[in-house]
Amino acid sequence: MQPDAAIRAEPAPATRALTCPSCGGGVELRAAGYTVHVACQYCGSILDVTDPQVKLVTAYHQAAAALEIPLGTRGVLRGVEWEVIGYLQRSENGAYGWDEYLLFNPYHGYRWLVYARGGWSLGEQLTVMPDWVAHDQLAVAGEIFTHFYADGVARVDYVLGEFFWRVAVGETVQTADWARPGAMLSREENAQEISWTRNEWLPSKEMQQAFGVQRDPLPWPPLPHQPSPWGDWLKTGVKIGLVAFAFLLLFAFQFGGTRWDAAGTFPIAADGREQSVTLGPITLRSRYQSVHLRAEVPRLENGWLDLDYSLVDRKTQQVYEAYGAAERYSGTDSDGAWTEGDRRTAVSIPSVPAGSYDLVVDYKGNRWSNAPSYLDSGAGWMDAANAPQVTVEVRQGAVYASNLWLALILIAAPLLFGLFRHLSFESARKGESDFAPSGSDGDDDE
Amino acid sequence: MSGRTFFFSLWCLGVAGLFVLGAGFAWSPFAEGGRARSHAGYYGPHHK
Amino acid sequence: MSQHLPCPNCGADVVFRSPALPSRVCDYCRSLLVRSDSGVIKVGEAAALPFDVSPVQIGMRGRIDGKGFEVIGRVRWAWTDGAWNEWLLLFEDGGNAWLGEAMGQFMLLWERSLGQVRSPALRGIVKGQDAVIGTEVQLDHQKLVIADAREVVCVAAEGELPFTAPSGWKLYSVDLRGQHGECATLQRDRGETSVYQGRYVTLAELAPRGMRAIEGWTLPAYAA
Repeated sequence: MQPDAAIRAEPAPATRALTCPSCGGGVELRAAGYTVHVACQYCGSILDVTDPQVKLVTAYHQAAAALEIPLGTRGVLRGVEWEVIGYLQRSENGAYGWDEYLLFNPYHGYRWLVYARGGWSLGEQLTVMPDWVAHDQLAVAGEIFTHFYADGVARVDYVLGEFFWRVAVGETVQTADWARPGAMLSREENAQEISWTRNEWLPSKEMQQAFGVQRDPLPWPPLPHQPSPWGDWLKTGVKIGLVAFAFLLLFAFQFGGTRWDAAGTFPIAADGREQSVTLGPITLRSRYQSVHLRAEVPRLENGWLDLDYSLVDRKTQQVYEAYGAAERYSGTDSDGAWTEGDRRTAVSIPSVPAGSYDLVVDYKGNRWSNAPSYLDSGAGWMDAANAPQVTVEVRQGAVYASNLWLALILIAAPLLFGLFRHLSFESARKGESDFAPSGSDGDDDE
Repeated sequence: MSGRTFFFSLWCLGVAGLFVLGAGFAWSPFAEGGRARSHAGYYGPHHK
Repeated sequence: MSQHLPCPNCGADVVFRSPALPSRVCDYCRSLLVRSDSGVIKVGEAAALPFDVSPVQIGMRGRIDGKGFEVIGRVRWAWTDGAWNEWLLLFEDGGNAWLGEAMGQFMLLWERSLGQVRSPALRGIVKGQDAVIGTEVQLDHQKLVIADAREVVCVAAEGELPFTAPSGWKLYSVDLRGQHGECATLQRDRGETSVYQGRYVTLAELAPRGMRAIEGWTLPAYAA
């Protein structure tokens, strides 16, 4: 195919100039060919520009309002440049007013910039209709929106600039809204048509950068589609926390330490005197390690065994000590048989430096004097004829399981705080809905 | 990255650092035993 | 297949690229031309196109559904509440389709034969009844709703066209919309009715090349 002569080498002009028939002011048409009505930026009169001759629709003689974003302002939002070409002030029949700016880019069409109760949104009219997925939920393009505002009315209170339809002050449409964090789905209906718009939340900071508007504090209570300031952080935070904890878990397995080794088994004297054994040498090779000691008295019953462990460095005579006790009681009361305590005891000595050590175990058996008398001869578990025995085991380690749990708690604490804040934000947000369960529900149920 | 995410990452790094440091010294705030305050003396006779 | 002929009015070279497109507007003198076996005759004069900031222009190329196309014609229509463009796309396989451009949104529509339209509501409109807004219509497997019906008037035309589009030509036009971006248009001209069916598209989906440059605006990334 040959190159077509109709292709213009020069760029086409972007605006069409016209004169307001009411006040004589010069009006620049920024979306020529699309625009149907213009509200003159000097006198507010509404002009019909569908024909080459401009027709006056409604004459007004009012000073045009000073807009937060003046008509003709350009700004870049999400990578696309937009020009403000129209402005509508609307309200719910006089109450809860909000502003709507019409944005235009010849290559991207129209968008809306909505400013309501301190929050900005970018609206795009949908070419598809949402699907119902539940009695109160709609889905569009993979997003689910929950019914938020029931039937309302939106009335045009003031217009300025150009529009692709016939605007008229006082014109009303029926409205309803569905919301999800970050976006709102708005339905507008009049006698002729139903239109759906997806309004995306725009952070105040983004609007300041794009159009130079002043930054507002975050609205409270939240707007229907205002995203929780904790939501995004929670999602990344949980990921970061999981990575950190996985690292610690891996580290703990890598440096878990040795297995339990039997250190010795000794008889417990029936007379309850203090006994002592010395085990060793125990060689500790790491710069620092923890020494874990575990003792078990299989025949312990209604009594306890005191254990004083001392790790004595053969060279320096430095002593590392720990105290443990195995206790075990049982009996019968009105509720039946009971038992309490454990025949085993485990203790640890942290930060023991490398060296050759003796382990000195001082131990002493005790009887529970209040033990029920019907139990055997009175000697209890410490039987001279058949001495009970205590078995001691030793293990070396580096990473304490308790440290792992402590780290988990420390990592999770800010996330739990964030979750709490997120949930209270979400409940405040949903509380603004026409469909929110009334406050007293469920709270005072007995 | 938001400031909050940055500070939380820093916090996690700190916790992990303390954890690794604790492992280096085989230390735990919950360990039962420890270095004896008084020097060997009393235990001397047990030592052969 | 394309045929070069001199304009009977100004003598400029005019191209007819497809036998399915016997009408065209001379690029130089804006004469409305019709090609027949006996040659090219002038049947009227096209009005000047009013200025607009449409990003589409004759000569723009693109690709949709795996087929390349070129924009070769346009008709501008108006109704009481506005105006819009219908751009004619000539595909590389010789077929053609319309790219409707209204309110900054685009619709891609293919003409379909009226004989296949079974819907009683549409058949009624073909016979001359008025369309009832909100009526559900089954067109093939698509469920569409009549969204709009109005009298429209041709403002102006340019390029190659399947029909002669004189300014002031009046049609009864019915728009239908589906749930998921499907759409259709029925245009009734006294006795003759055409049905077009398709879907909403974005300019980016068309992978356009040679879009119209507009002063002060940068071409979008998808057209670079």
